[in-house]
Amino acid sequence: MIWLGKIIAVHSYKGGTGKTLISVNFAATLVKQGKKICLLDLDFRAPSLATIFKIEKADYWLNDYLNGTCEIDKVLIDSSERIGNAGKLFVGLANPTTEAIRDMSAKDRKWEMRALGRLLALRNSLLNDKGFDYLIFDTSPGLQYSSINAIVSADVVIVATTFDRSDVEGTKRMLRELYDLFEKKTEVVVNKVLYDVSMKSGKDEVQTRIEGIHKVPVLGIIPCFCDVSRAEGTFIFAQEKPNHPFTKILDEMAKNLDNITA
Amino acid sequence: MTKQEVLGKKPLQVLQKIRENLERLNEKMEIMIELQKRGKKDVQPLPEAPLDVMTLLSMPDHLRKTAMTLCRLGRATAEDVAQQTRRARAVESGYLNQLVIMGHLKKERKGRKAYFHVDKENQG
Repeated sequence: MIWLGKIIAVHSYKGGTGKTLISVNFAATLVKQGKKICLLDLDFRAPSLATIFKIEKADYWLNDYLNGTCEIDKVLIDSSERIGNAGKLFVGLANPTTEAIRDMSAKDRKWEMRALGRLLALRNSLLNDKGFDYLIFDTSPGLQYSSINAIVSADVVIVATTFDRSDVEGTKRMLRELYDLFEKKTEVVVNKVLYDVSMKSGKDEVQTRIEGIHKVPVLGIIPCFCDVSRAEGTFIFAQEKPNHPFTKILDEMAKNLDNITA
Repeated sequence: MTKQEVLGKKPLQVLQKIRENLERLNEKMEIMIELQKRGKKDVQPLPEAPLDVMTLLSMPDHLRKTAMTLCRLGRATAEDVAQQTRRARAVESGYLNQLVIMGHLKKERKGRKAYFHVDKENQG
């Protein structure tokens, strides 16, 4: 069977649920498995990847691609060396300057429609022509144009959620009123869960509880790791701590993703 | 080509022509029905109705499916859309024409085929 690359959007109802942490570490895990990955920062209101990948200045940003002023290959930065593994990692950054953020939040419906067209075109230009295995979209939380554009363009939506009451309720609504309407394959990742990673029963209990609440498959359960918080986003955890339980969970998620998208 | 083959091909061509004409008629009737539903004041397609994600969200399910498929394909016939959605070609033709009337899509004829697309400048 011919493998066709897939687009994954990482989204959430609320901010701070770990979308970027999951996107970056998920990308690093897939690269470790020899995959060719393209990680795109579509969180134009709070760009993060430039800081995480320690890139201070880019010639072109994803903002330029969506504005139609450059092609996507100008935007992508080869960060494979930064990850130093078997596969390849390219990143596309959102412009983090205040001016760019202001500009992106003032776009009209017509611009957003063109942006959707350009995101949809990535399937041809990156998956089919450049042979990427996965495009990973790190999105803004909630119901915003840029995130919904990303969701519409994606094959699978990974929803990062927590047990916070308002997050649970909001995620439930989004599953029903957003992902279902666009007929998207959806997987949930529950982050910051308070259970002992060494106790399997705790994990099973959480999984049953989440499946009962959201009625969608659970791709992963990530306990609240102090080590991850302590890293303060200064390094890519899955790359620098290959034996940490957090990395092991990501490894498992990446394996499951292959089955989901096959 | 033998004489028998030539004679056998002609009725097939005639039938094909009849089928195409019936399809055109069908499309026109669907447009007329749609226009009647909307009343005379809406006879002209709406000039400004961008097919953005919020518009997609607010659409009824059956139209959203057609519109999203066309967004993915870029430019397509009702047949192309029907192959993706696994609904009948005539059904997709009706929905596509409805979307044209609503101002979300454009329609162009090339020879015998009708192509639908989102406004060209908005295709990325």
